[in-house]
Parts: sequence; structure tokens; C-alpha cells
Amino acid sequence: MRDLKGEFRTRYAVNAILMFAFTTLIAVSFSIGSYRIVEAQKPFLNAVLLWIILVFSALSGLSRSFVREEESGTMDILKLSARPQAVFLGKLFFNLTLLGALEIIIVPSFVLLMGYEIKLPVCFWAMIISAGLGLGAGTTLVAAMIAQASARGALFSALSFPLLLPLMITAIKGCERAALGLDAAGWPEVRIAVAYVVIMMVMSIFLFPLIWEE
Amino acid sequence: MYSLNVEGICKHYQRTMLFENISFSLAQGDVLAITGWNGSGKSTLVRIIAGLVRPSAGRVQMMVDEKVVPKERRRRFLGLVAPALCLYEELTGLENLEFFCKLRGVACDRSGCLDWMNQVGLNGQADKQCRDYSSGMKQRLKLVQAIIHNPPLLLLDEPCSNLDSNGMKIVERIVSAQQEKGMTIIASNEKREVDYASRIINLSE
Repeated sequence: MRDLKGEFRTRYAVNAILMFAFTTLIAVSFSIGSYRIVEAQKPFLNAVLLWIILVFSALSGLSRSFVREEESGTMDILKLSARPQAVFLGKLFFNLTLLGALEIIIVPSFVLLMGYEIKLPVCFWAMIISAGLGLGAGTTLVAAMIAQASARGALFSALSFPLLLPLMITAIKGCERAALGLDAAGWPEVRIAVAYVVIMMVMSIFLFPLIWEE
Repeated sequence: MYSLNVEGICKHYQRTMLFENISFSLAQGDVLAITGWNGSGKSTLVRIIAGLVRPSAGRVQMMVDEKVVPKERRRRFLGLVAPALCLYEELTGLENLEFFCKLRGVACDRSGCLDWMNQVGLNGQADKQCRDYSSGMKQRLKLVQAIIHNPPLLLLDEPCSNLDSNGMKIVERIVSAQQEKGMTIIASNEKREVDYASRIINLSE
């Protein structure tokens, strides 16, 4: 809650993420729009564009949760006062809140601007939410790792990308399937994304104290 | 009963030796001063004792009733005031204190925190954001966050910096109260601060 209160007053991460998201969304919708894509390729290409916007917008701001502690010199006081797991869960909650806000604003805007037809909206939103959770869990751990490095920005993207690639591919496939209305038994991509979230969470809970103590 | 054992602490950065073989023990009621020229490693030694910096060699052990406190739990037994320690500028003074109480599991409500702030002369400043505090006011708030959880070990790195004469009296009061319940380490070259201590370690010798 402290992070949210601070963010509400400074709006640093929110501004960075939303500015990036809106700029890319407007650029994509103006340059490609809904008419320049062949009808048969729409479900796939729209899913690709949507996740490119979501992932890169997230990368532009989610590292702030830990980097801000380092830049403002509050890392030491936090280390002295809080348990590592409490810090991780707090930062994760903050990042997930930001991601949730990003998805609530950007996904409907994208659907509207790009004329994105989705035949299975429940499956589509389940994919967006589960992949969003995975994106939050992955980027929070990487943000903790790079917070004390000197070239943080580049390092954050470089380290996050391979970690998030399997999730991104799964999310694209899942959104395409939802748009096409292919109701494969049990929504396999959603299940993969949920498994990814569980793995990332368990790994983070064990790894974070080691990163935090260094 | 609390005690602290520092054995053979040594710190070097690449080829530069900062200090070596620092050993001492503290028992309840002890006040130790660490002095030395600028760059002699006073603050680094304090940060090593706090567990924020890893020593190149040696070990720090805190004991409660002759049982060693695990390293990962040691931080909960200490309070630190240091120039490099920063508060959350976007939060008010009161929000900072409430946040630290919550993190440390201290049962201290709004009125309790306000009472602490009044004790260090921050009356009427509770709802101001920390970025609007003067450096002396920030130092007073740092003192409160260091003692609010009643730590057995109090680490004070230049505790009187930026403080006026009233602030210095507050530090004196804190150190003498701490003598009754735990141990204190003061890193400073100021005579007034060093005089609080019963023992001195000079890192420049």
C-alpha cells in the first residue's frame, strides 16, 4: 500500500507505462488499423500486436518498484525493517495493480480501435489476466535483480525478455484461439500461463531473499 | 540479556584495505564510540554490524540470553540512524512512522506515532510530506524510526548531524535511555557524541 500511496502522489511509473502504451496503440492503429490486415490473419496479428504493446509498456515502468528504492536511498531502511518475503509480495502487489490498470485501459481500447473480433471473450480475458499475472511475477523478480546495477534500463529489458518469451508466445496463441472461437478442451494456453505464474511465484519466494541480501 | 561479539572484522575494496582485525564485545548498558579520520571506515563498520554490508573477513554475532541470533533475524534487533539512510520523501512524517511500525510488527497506532513525534519535537509536523522537512527534522524522524521498536542494539552514525541544541539533547536522552535496556554504538568524531561512550575504538590508529 505504501508503494501505491507513493505512486499516487508521484505518478512516475503510471505515467511511463500509460504514455508508452497509448503512443504505441495510437501508432499501431493509425499505421495498420483494422483494414490493412487480411481478414484471415486478423486473429493472429491482432494478438501479436496487443501483446507487444502490453509487454513493452510493462517493461517501461515495472522496474520502478525496486529501482525507486535504490535511487531514493530507501533500500537500506527497507532491508532493516521488513522481511524479504513481505517486500517481494508488496512489490508484486504494486506491479500487478499497475498491470491490471494497464490491461483494463489498453485492451478495450485496442479491441475498439483495431476492430478486434473475439468469439470467446471469457477465454480471451482469462488469457489476458493469467498472462498478466505471469508478466507481473516475472518482471518483479527481474526488477529486484537489476535494482542495484548501473545500466538498469537495458539490463531489465535484456533479462526480462528471455524469461517472458515463453509466456508471450503462449498468450498470443491463447488470444488467437479465443478470437477464432476454437474451444479446445480446458483452454490449454490459460493453463500453461497459470502454471507459469505458479512456477514464477514459488521460484521468486525462494530466490528473492538471496537477491535481497546481496 | 543481550550481547554483541565482533570478531576479526576486516574490510577491503579490491586492493584498498579499509580496516582489519576489528574485535570487541558489548554487553547490556555499554556505549561504544567508533572514531577515525574521514574515509577510515566508521560508517562501513556500522553497516557491517547492521548486516547491510558483508565483511571481507570476520563475523558479527548478536546474542540473546547467550543464544546466537541468526544473521537473517539480527536486523530486527537493531535500530540504525545514519546519514545515508533515507526516509520516504513522498510520505508524511506520520505515514513513514506508521509504515515502519507495520513492517516491524510494532503495535503502535496513529496516536502512539504522534506521541513519538512529539517526543522528538516534531509537534504539528506529522502531516507534512518528508520532502518538505528540513534536514534537522528528517534527522529527528530517523531517530524515532530507529527506537520505535525498542531495539536492544542502537547504531548511531553521526546522530547529531543537522541537529540544533534541542535536537542534541534529544540524542543525549535517547542514548541514556538505551543504556538501561541495551547497547549503543556511536560512529562520530564530534567530541559531544563521543563523550556519551564509555569505550572508544579509533579506526585511524
